[in-house]
Amino acid sequence: MAINLVNVGKVIGNPQTRILNNINLTIADGEFVSFVGRSGSGKSTLLYLLSSLDIASEGFVEIDGMKVSDLKPDDLYQFRNLKMGFIFQFHYLLAELTALENILMPARKTNQMKQKEGYALDLLNQFGLKGKEKRLPRQLSGGEQQRVAIARALIMKPKYIFADEPTGALDSVNAKIVIDIMTRVNQEQGTTVIMVTHDAGFAQLARKQIHLVDGKIV
Amino acid sequence: MIFLAFRYLFSKKKQTFFTILGIFFGTVAFVGISGLMLGFRGYIIDQLVNNDAHIHIESREEFLSQHSLDQSIKFPALHVFWIQPPSGRKDNALIENPQQWYYRLKSDKRVAAFSGQLTAGVVFSVGKSNVSSSLTGCDPYAQVKVSTISKHVIEGRFEDLATGGNRIAIGEQLQKRLGVHLYQNVLVSLADRPATPFKVVAIYKFGNNNADSQAYSSLADVQKVNNTLNKVNVIAVKLVDFSQASFIAKTWGHFGLEKVESWDEINGSIFNVFAIQDFIRFMSTGSIILVAGFGIFNVLNMTVMQKRKDVAILRSMGYTDGDILQLFFLQGLMVGLMGTMTGLLVGFLVCKYASTLPAVHGPIDSGAGGTMQISFANGIYIQAAILSMMSAIISSIQPARTAEKLTPIEIIRAGAE
Repeated sequence: MAINLVNVGKVIGNPQTRILNNINLTIADGEFVSFVGRSGSGKSTLLYLLSSLDIASEGFVEIDGMKVSDLKPDDLYQFRNLKMGFIFQFHYLLAELTALENILMPARKTNQMKQKEGYALDLLNQFGLKGKEKRLPRQLSGGEQQRVAIARALIMKPKYIFADEPTGALDSVNAKIVIDIMTRVNQEQGTTVIMVTHDAGFAQLARKQIHLVDGKIV
Repeated sequence: MIFLAFRYLFSKKKQTFFTILGIFFGTVAFVGISGLMLGFRGYIIDQLVNNDAHIHIESREEFLSQHSLDQSIKFPALHVFWIQPPSGRKDNALIENPQQWYYRLKSDKRVAAFSGQLTAGVVFSVGKSNVSSSLTGCDPYAQVKVSTISKHVIEGRFEDLATGGNRIAIGEQLQKRLGVHLYQNVLVSLADRPATPFKVVAIYKFGNNNADSQAYSSLADVQKVNNTLNKVNVIAVKLVDFSQASFIAKTWGHFGLEKVESWDEINGSIFNVFAIQDFIRFMSTGSIILVAGFGIFNVLNMTVMQKRKDVAILRSMGYTDGDILQLFFLQGLMVGLMGTMTGLLVGFLVCKYASTLPAVHGPIDSGAGGTMQISFANGIYIQAAILSMMSAIISSIQPARTAEKLTPIEIIRAGAE
């Protein structure tokens, strides 16, 4: 049992709006799960609750048997650094850093730059970005930027990958490349991949699909 | 986080340059203005401390009042009514018992030298030129120990006064006004007494109009002219440590009837001016640095807004609140550090250059050796660095704390791009 949600609800804003209602969900290690649903159905919120970036208003989230709400901030930050990788719809690369430096940012946090540099170059190579390690994000295409962002999410060899519409800003060719990478990571490394997507085709590539309607799993 | 803070700063070179410029100008202004003001002050204090004695012992001026003579009335009287009440100065402006003071000063180890002086108001005449001024009688050998007069002699020798026989050392201003030259005679007259010829054996120049309009002679000669043999009206004392002057003067003040004043008490008004100068200096340069601080504050606040998505992604990578705070705080600190360091260096160079410039024409010009008196005291540079860095640090705290409080989910929900 890797991630466990028990009676989780989420209410935001003033006046209060209910986004998620009584979610009970278990995601096992090594699964590839996709959340699908319309805009506003609560799938992104659910992803952020699972990944500890957000806090549940009701119920609780357990990751590796630990209640997220019980974790001390420093433990939570360390957990994120070592065990979680995030991919967003927009690449969110740091504009001032090169592709390689961006990838190594999580490793910089734990002073593992040197140890991880070889792996970072290997990832760039695997993702068709060989020779572009010294380029700044603005010198890369949209697809290349997203691949650098995926490499950054993978650099610490995390146990979990959380992807929020990773193909949302890409053309179909690049979107397929990104989905292929995530599938490969899941299959070859056993990484748990949890992905939010609008694209029904990509959602079907996941072994488990979770449909959300008005904040409830259906 | 210093690596990323550096990258942020140097990705916007122009913005960073102008932010640094604010602190830079503030620091240069502080160092420059302080160097100039304190240099001038140092010169003035040097004049006060070294050119003259540290302590003056002189007869106390006492003024008569209606009841001053009550104790002196020899017959029993319940009420005394004066047609013209007593008034005016009681003493005769001479030290009653100078020998007692000399004995005391000789045995005090804190005293480096002392010189009994008799100063009289006289009229100097050469041909048709008449100038009224003061003539100070002194022991020339003791006088050169309590003041720097021998260093300021531009013609002749001050010590030549010691041989006696009506010799005189005159200030340059007096010499010009009388049109007299070395080894010529000057007539000295006092009140209704006949004029006495004095030979000019030295001409001195302090660079101070007042001092340069006076004259010195041997104590015995002035006592003779003044008809006050063995009397002095001032004892000038040079101390081993001038900073103790005020304390020692207060102690000696209890010994006798004489008024004992230290150099800083005598020149108290100058120190008030110095205090006002300090206030103006800190206010003017402080406001430049304050404005520069606002510059840092604005730029950092803007950077925090622009870098919200970076904060979100850094948080998702496991960077802590403290890391985010550091990231923005370090930027302010680096701007402050660069502005301060370059400001200190350029400020120093400006002061170095200023110290080679000729002084504004005036009495201090010659005394100061012809160039501007600039202070290079370490304190100026330390104060400038502290002020500038404090400004940068205080300006960086609030934006850094704003960034620290940003939560990734809010940024992501807001769709920061």
